[in-house]
Amino acid sequence: MSTTVATGAVSTEKATKDGLLQRRATKLWQAVGPLVIFVIMFAVVAILTPTFIGGGGVTIVASSAAPILLVALGQAFVLNIGSIDLSNAAITVLGAILLAMTLGPLGAVAPLVVLIMVTLFGAVNGLIVAFAQVPSFALTLGTLGIFQAAALVVSGATTVYVDANLDLVAWLYTGAIAMLPMTFILGVVVAVVAWLFLRFTRPGQGMTAVGKNESGAIFSAVRNRGLKVVAYSLSGFMAGLAGITIIAQAGSASPMGLGSDLLLPGIAAAIVGGTSISGGVMNPLNVIFGALTVALVPIATTALGFDPSTQNLVYGVVIIVVVALTLTRSRSATVK
Amino acid sequence: MTKETAQATAPTLRLTDIRKSFGPVHALKSISLEINRGEVIGLIGENGAGKSTLLKILTGIYQPDAGKIEVNGKSVKFRGPRDSSAAGIGVVHQEQSLFTNLSVAENIAISSGTGHRTGTRFGFYNWGQLNRSAAETLNIIGSKLNPKTRVGDLSFVDRQMVEIARAIRVDAGKDGSPLVILDEPTSLLERGETEVLEREIRKLKAFGSVIFVSHRLDEIIRNCDRILVMRNGELVADRVTSTVTEDELFKLMVGHASHASKKSRTSIDSSATPVLEVSRLSLKGKYSDISIAAHAGRITAIVGTSGSGREELSRAIFGAEKFDSGSIALNGSKVRGWRIPKAVSKGVGYVPSERKVEGMVGGYSAAENIVLTHPGKAAVGPIVLPWKRNKIAQEWFTTLDVRPNDIALELDRFSGGNQQKVVMAKWLNDPNLRVLVLDHPLRGLDPGAAETVNEQIKKACDKGAAVILLADTLEEALEMGDEILVMRDGAVTGHYDMNVDNPSTLDLLERMV
Amino acid sequence: MMTTTSSSGTAASVTIDTGEILTPNSSAKRRNIFAGIGEPVALIGALVVLIAIFSALNPRFATLTNLQNVLNQASLPIIIGVGATLVILIGSIDLSVEGVMAASGVAFVLMSANSRGGQDMGIAAFIVPVVLGTVLGALNGLIYTLLKVPSFIVTLGMWFIGFGIATILYGTDAYPELTDDNLTNWAAKINLGLPNVFWLAAALVVVSALVIRFTRFGRAALAIGNNEDIARANGMPVRKHKVTIFIIAGALSGVAGILATMQMGGTSNHIGEGYLFLTLPAVVIGGTSLAGGKGGVLRTFLGVILLTVLNNGLVLAGVSPNYQSALSGAILVVAIVAAAWSQRGRLRIAK
Repeated sequence: MSTTVATGAVSTEKATKDGLLQRRATKLWQAVGPLVIFVIMFAVVAILTPTFIGGGGVTIVASSAAPILLVALGQAFVLNIGSIDLSNAAITVLGAILLAMTLGPLGAVAPLVVLIMVTLFGAVNGLIVAFAQVPSFALTLGTLGIFQAAALVVSGATTVYVDANLDLVAWLYTGAIAMLPMTFILGVVVAVVAWLFLRFTRPGQGMTAVGKNESGAIFSAVRNRGLKVVAYSLSGFMAGLAGITIIAQAGSASPMGLGSDLLLPGIAAAIVGGTSISGGVMNPLNVIFGALTVALVPIATTALGFDPSTQNLVYGVVIIVVVALTLTRSRSATVK
Repeated sequence: MTKETAQATAPTLRLTDIRKSFGPVHALKSISLEINRGEVIGLIGENGAGKSTLLKILTGIYQPDAGKIEVNGKSVKFRGPRDSSAAGIGVVHQEQSLFTNLSVAENIAISSGTGHRTGTRFGFYNWGQLNRSAAETLNIIGSKLNPKTRVGDLSFVDRQMVEIARAIRVDAGKDGSPLVILDEPTSLLERGETEVLEREIRKLKAFGSVIFVSHRLDEIIRNCDRILVMRNGELVADRVTSTVTEDELFKLMVGHASHASKKSRTSIDSSATPVLEVSRLSLKGKYSDISIAAHAGRITAIVGTSGSGREELSRAIFGAEKFDSGSIALNGSKVRGWRIPKAVSKGVGYVPSERKVEGMVGGYSAAENIVLTHPGKAAVGPIVLPWKRNKIAQEWFTTLDVRPNDIALELDRFSGGNQQKVVMAKWLNDPNLRVLVLDHPLRGLDPGAAETVNEQIKKACDKGAAVILLADTLEEALEMGDEILVMRDGAVTGHYDMNVDNPSTLDLLERMV
Repeated sequence: MMTTTSSSGTAASVTIDTGEILTPNSSAKRRNIFAGIGEPVALIGALVVLIAIFSALNPRFATLTNLQNVLNQASLPIIIGVGATLVILIGSIDLSVEGVMAASGVAFVLMSANSRGGQDMGIAAFIVPVVLGTVLGALNGLIYTLLKVPSFIVTLGMWFIGFGIATILYGTDAYPELTDDNLTNWAAKINLGLPNVFWLAAALVVVSALVIRFTRFGRAALAIGNNEDIARANGMPVRKHKVTIFIIAGALSGVAGILATMQMGGTSNHIGEGYLFLTLPAVVIGGTSLAGGKGGVLRTFLGVILLTVLNNGLVLAGVSPNYQSALSGAILVVAIVAAAWSQRGRLRIAK
């Protein structure tokens, strides 16, 4: 119908003019924003705490960024298809506990077994989201409860210590290349592989297509449901890797400890790393800087004279502010 | 309109020299008209004639660039839908606009102001008064609906009653003559339901005026006192119903009596197996017992109104929607587990009418869109080779003259016509394309782009694909189709082989409505 | 949160997306698998069955003391559930409950007579935490409506902001305990056979049910949840209503933080933990749709009672409380799957 189309054309034309600057800004942000933010934060910390760089600060940041990075990469895959995974941190805890319990008896096979299990946990999330077509935040909130309880029950609600074979994974933490612990290097390797996967494979491109416009993707024969399962499986898998880094670092896992605090930092790292909350935009390499930035938050808050306990508040503010700044809005759209 | 009524009272609605442009497009070029109390006016015109722009101006959604609107003799300006409804203009939308989770009475009352009569005062509901007031309004239109029923539980035609009640409610209790606009109210109704609605229209005449918009000329003639015909943003005719015939109206609408064009037709090699064979396909409530044999190199145009079931049928062929019974066969072998990915792997393509939503991934570059479905040489197994992708995309850009010539630009930055070229390229990039289903492929395209798209459709035919075309206009169907299937209410009511038959648009129309 | 394949936005074209309009009819056949789940009659039936089973398993279950205990436990989820239901009715979500509770709980305890010393501020100790909740709720609503950030992200962030505020207020000193026994005993104290806090919760349910049923505001909330676009086209102040509802939810979370602190006799920044987990599934199995527009607080009341009885019965039957979040989680999963089952379709999109 020509009248309708005519108005469409007019608004597009207007949007082209109005949006050009904003579009360039968005592109620029997507390309280098996360790096810039990290550099600024790093500089602030380095200036305020001169001992930071010399005193092994870089290693500390990198090692605390490692589990955040892995969880964030998984989360970014799910965000990229337009959904969210609130259960991934719980999977990390569960995976760490399972690894702590099995490393002794199973030895080198244990990490493999655990990774298979957590991938399946993720796949279950994905299958339900894709085939029952339920809102992902509600579903993963439910499975978050289930994984949490599983961690409590399996561990007997206490900290589980690795009783033997810890050296099978401990080298990931103790080993380092250029001051960067292997756990962080692992995260970077995963990010690079993820980047290649997204840029140079059809499933990777299909996922991004689903995130950008799922209807359009469906009509272009993209297997949206299968790709959702893959995205959630990857989220589970990477959450499991994060669990391994926790064992490598601590030698133990607790159902209340490290890891349960990874949910928000993970989402924050993904978003600060330029991943779009509404789907279709993800650059795994930038998520590296997102994770580093988030890992700097507690250090930076201390450096700025705040109590370290403010970090939850900072995470919360960062998430809202970054999403608010990077969201593409259309005036008429209904946001729920 | 007779002299007496015009003199006795001011007309319910008078428009003087209403103009509206969108950029360079003159959607309305000086519309002037009068509607009197108690009149039922039919408003007809092809898609794009300006009907919906006019309706949007009457309902306050658009503001006219120039011109005067008078309601019951008073000059008015509508800044929004509320103003228009306060002036006594109610509209029954084609897409229903009721809250399905609320009761009939609430839906009728919801856009009203607060006050004792409506049953809402100081922000509180008086359910008894609210229901009585709704029952009163329903009574005026002779509806026996229970005001307490949840709208979600009503049938489609009953919901339309509620919409009408809401439309007239805007003026209930006030002294004045309401104007109710019925925007294609019958397009989704079953036959029996249509009769109910027509009775309602006659009742509405007793206290107000009606603008009745429909594609079904027979309905227009049955129900209206006077008929306004729009074409290209102008009012081209204003006739008292008793003086016109369907044929005449049609000619006024399209501007000329139509003739089939002289495009060379592809004849069927009767011995060849059809590429696509649809046998006795049925989907409850949408279409039933549809059979189509589409041959290589031929265009099968399906024509019908919006309730005809042709959209659902075309989607079923692409695997996007299910069907209840019947079968689809490609090159003689029946398909199973028919879903989009399977259909696409067998060489079926689909250009949806909702281009921006369904036809493309707007945030992706044009190049990525072109190879998204059929990467061809741009991918080795699952691995994508960007340089080959760019080469393929650049070739298509040159072939189709896509502008701007920037394959890396996001597709939603292109104009509609250029977007559609890219969407076509996406399917033509399939070397094994066997069936191409096109749902309104020229919708909203400028003539140049339309020509390019039509050329590509013919090229697809030359390469041996069978094309199913849901055209925008009957002329387009007659010009492009080698075969024409007419659908009405989910059944095939006409079938023409254009090598043998030479139907006119009127022949088609007769079987459509 | 959820988008179905949208209808064509173009007016007056020949094609219109009939799919959406006719969905209720076409899915009617398939729906019966799960029909009845979430209907009040079914919930009451399930409640009766549970009570019968648990009574048979443990004689301590069907006693007046345990009933009072169950209602005492159910009260806070009911109070939070009222806010959650309102938010879900308009099609949004509020995940910030636990954070807001923590912030207001810690604020409350530090302003009351407590083991850390400090000053007893009397009535202000009640007002300030509620105002804090109200402000956080208002921020939720304003950021959500003005900046168009999806509600689950805003409230997820606010969850941690509230938690952060609580952590900062809490500091590093010893666990602050309320020293006034009148405060610590108030919630569970029996009046007319039932605990005080339950009377409060019940009154709140009745009032909010009346508001939803008999005010333009309540009806508008339902209308917005059903179809925001139509609501806007009808001239409803959609944004104002949404913000108001988030404010109510925040204030109720603040109240819940105070009550939880009173129940525990003291507080930490973890005071709210687990409440979101009990409340959300309760709202959903009560039959309030996450898509908005359908449901109500009475249903949520039933849902909370059902889940509380289930938890209480299982604990009495000797099941480890460690399973509790799994139970709530599993119930949430089953409930949302059941609710979405009939609407599945090839082209449907759920995010």
